[in-house]
Amino acid sequence: MKNKLLMLLTVFITLFSATIVKAEDKVVKIASDSTYAPFEFQDANKKYVGIDVDLMQKISEMNGWQLDQSFPGFQAALDQLNAGQTDGVIAGMSITDERKKVFDFSDSYYASSVVIASKKGNKISTYNQLKGKSVGVKNGTASQDFLSKNKAKYGYTIKTYDEGSQLYESLKVGTVDAIMDDEPVLRYAINQGQDFEINMSGEKIGDYGFAVKKGTHADLITGFNKALKELRNNGGYDAILNKYIKTETEKDIKPVKSDYRIVSDSLFAPFEFQNSSKKYVGIDVDLMQAIAKNQKFNITMDFVGFQTAIDQTQASHADGMIAGMSITDERKKVFDFSDPYFTANATIAVKSTTTNIKSYKDLKGKTVGVKNGTASQTFLDKNKDKYGYSVKVFDAADTMYESLNTGSIDAFMDDEPVVKYAILQGKKFATPLEPEKIGEYGFAVKKGTNPELLAMFNAGLAKLKANGEYDTIVEKYMGNTDSDDNKVDESTMIGIIKNNWQQLAKGLGYTLSLTIVSFILALIIGVIFGLFSVSPSKFLKGFTRVYVDLVRGVPLMVLAIFIFYGIPNLIESITGHSSPLNDYVAGVIALTLNASAYIAEIVRGGVNSVPIGQMEASRSLGISYVKTMRRVILPQAVKITIPSLVNQFIISLKDTTIISAIGLIELLQTGKIIVARNFQSFKVYGLIALIYLVVILSLTIFARRLERNMK
Amino acid sequence: MAKLKIDITDLHKSFGSNEVLKGITTRFNEGDVVCIIGPSGSGKSTFLRTLNGLEEITSGTVIVDGYDLTNTKTNLNQVRQEVGMVFQQFNLFPNMTVLENITYAPLELKKMSKDEAHTKALDLLKKVGLSDKADAMPESLSGGQKQRVAIARALAMDPDLMLFDEPTSALDPEMVGDVLEVMQELAKEGMTMLIVTHEMGFARKVANRVIFTDGGEILEDNTPDQVFENPQHPRLKDFLNKVLNV
Repeated sequence: MKNKLLMLLTVFITLFSATIVKAEDKVVKIASDSTYAPFEFQDANKKYVGIDVDLMQKISEMNGWQLDQSFPGFQAALDQLNAGQTDGVIAGMSITDERKKVFDFSDSYYASSVVIASKKGNKISTYNQLKGKSVGVKNGTASQDFLSKNKAKYGYTIKTYDEGSQLYESLKVGTVDAIMDDEPVLRYAINQGQDFEINMSGEKIGDYGFAVKKGTHADLITGFNKALKELRNNGGYDAILNKYIKTETEKDIKPVKSDYRIVSDSLFAPFEFQNSSKKYVGIDVDLMQAIAKNQKFNITMDFVGFQTAIDQTQASHADGMIAGMSITDERKKVFDFSDPYFTANATIAVKSTTTNIKSYKDLKGKTVGVKNGTASQTFLDKNKDKYGYSVKVFDAADTMYESLNTGSIDAFMDDEPVVKYAILQGKKFATPLEPEKIGEYGFAVKKGTNPELLAMFNAGLAKLKANGEYDTIVEKYMGNTDSDDNKVDESTMIGIIKNNWQQLAKGLGYTLSLTIVSFILALIIGVIFGLFSVSPSKFLKGFTRVYVDLVRGVPLMVLAIFIFYGIPNLIESITGHSSPLNDYVAGVIALTLNASAYIAEIVRGGVNSVPIGQMEASRSLGISYVKTMRRVILPQAVKITIPSLVNQFIISLKDTTIISAIGLIELLQTGKIIVARNFQSFKVYGLIALIYLVVILSLTIFARRLERNMK
Repeated sequence: MAKLKIDITDLHKSFGSNEVLKGITTRFNEGDVVCIIGPSGSGKSTFLRTLNGLEEITSGTVIVDGYDLTNTKTNLNQVRQEVGMVFQQFNLFPNMTVLENITYAPLELKKMSKDEAHTKALDLLKKVGLSDKADAMPESLSGGQKQRVAIARALAMDPDLMLFDEPTSALDPEMVGDVLEVMQELAKEGMTMLIVTHEMGFARKVANRVIFTDGGEILEDNTPDQVFENPQHPRLKDFLNKVLNV
């Protein structure tokens, strides 16, 4: 008995110490495929090299592992892993659900794709160009699957080969017009001197991952992921990739501007939104920044709202826009689009407690909400008669979500990532139906402008997709890994204020500054026009009449938009130079014009309310018109007009909310941005209303005091 | 022969298609105190207001103190400095004190220094019996006081002649006397005065000429005695019957 105990103890101690030794100087056995260029293959010196080999060596070095690499072949490597003879496998292995049952995978270290290549000079950049042509492919590959599936759609014929060398030869001699193969393999071949070129982005077929046996060696996965991330950040990853694969980015695309202004939506989570530390993040944001970094150009991103972004890009206020924008034929008329960077699905969402909606047919007689101007709306309108639902259109997501909660709609349709993100943020929605593919998102520039920017975006996107960074970004916002927003509790009023007061103060600052600056200018202009309108000169009277009627006859929002977009457009069409206008300046001009027209009327009313006898009495003494105005009429008129002027000031302050239409982030727009992040529309908008109320009430009280004092 | 102050020939005045003055020809000499009487709407006020250019002249000639008012080159402001006017509604400036009302024109037109204007204003206030009201605001005065300040304001410019447009019509009856007294005093000093009024007693006592207008024409122009004792025109007779035998 004692012996047995002792033995157990010895075993325990041995095991324990062994673990310690392992951690100190760990030998890690890794198996790979025998030949899978460019991931692993023997070079001229019979030495194994390749992306997998180099990457694993680098990562081991960083983790302090002692690497023991073997190259038994793909199937053998997996067998060894299952048998526990090797610790991990890196072999250009796709991460699949099947494999996940028996292996634990690292993050994707390579996004594998298949792509079309042609002979140099025969540029093929769209699948449509393949119509009537023959395309070669290797038997039993993912490329073959893809080509077969899309054969009818694009009208090409397929020629199948058993060997890669045959495939390449037939392209060389012209038996086939194009070939499709694994992108890294093709690029490596080009790198090795094959006279081919690739002018399209690839079709993604899978992610490559490093694998360990399920439930073991969690430290290897963690260490691999950590080191991989570091390599991506410090460029070590790209260096390895570039060694084996010549990518398009080597074609020198040089930025022509020192800084590109990229505009985006202000509230389209998870593509762009402010996180709890007020920084704009999202798929678009991270992607754009990663691409800029990758392609070595500088960007400034402004989050002005979707429509505003479109308008600004069209007005050349911005060089490009990325805003979860679907690529449509309509938009192609005015924009040049990049390769699609995201495939958008739209999905029907219902309350999580709703159980009776399982197909589109169940929507019969129900009301379905949708945001105005979206692809979802187009889809819903098209299928309205088929399924017998009615459509209710909303301008903003938050009001639509609220309507679902309150039951005024039974379901809504929105972009899948947006709905997913909302659910992730705690909204109690469910998505019982299969999502509908509604389009592809693209980065856009104004048609015919900034071609280098578009080229850099495409090149960068291809590279990010290839090195897996793209997936990391997308998963960050659509997976369950996003913990950023859990840091601060924004479900209480105090939490909202605590976390946003600086932003709100800034918004209020803009609101007040807009109001005050425009009101002072309007006062000057308005008084001048007001005096014109009571002057004896018919010309001045008529001139003022026209000014007041014109300005008052145009709604303020139209005026603001006209000034901000219309005027620069006009100047551009005359001078040929783009002359963007600052949004603040445009806002001040619009508010000034608007208020000055009303102030002119107030002044006219004030002067006219001074009895005519006052003018006559002064004139009968021999005093001139101007002096009479200044000394007798105006002092009396001012007294009369003060309440109206204070009233106009309050109206101007309220009118600043309209300026949010051109993307200026004043108080209301600040609120919208916050709501887009935390979905607390009642509390946030309540708070915004309260702030306006306090400011305006204090003004009113001040005005009353002033009036009393003047009496 | 007394000096000619105002020379009016065939004066017409229309407001749109409505002809208010239908050809008036008359003359006023220095020192004349003329009362203009007539029913409401007879054009008396309009007539008075053409004499300092408050109303534009439609046709005819009006020469005041040597200035031809129908000549566009004439500086009306110059004329007005020499022609004082007192209104039915006083038209004091409510944003100025009594003193400021009086010194306003002399100071604006730089006719006097501040001290001079001040002294003169106090003199005038004394003359109209309101020495104690120099620093009062117009709104605190009674109607009669207001009108006396208005007279002082007109006199501050040392006018050659004075126009009074129904100066007592807006006053409570007990205030009328004070104002008429000031005007009578002024007449005694030899001021040329044209007075549109309904105060027949005053007209009879103070004026040296009474003009009766009706329908935009002068129907009778005579001494007070003749006008009141021996009226010629039937409409004057009719008018006097109505006014005097209430």
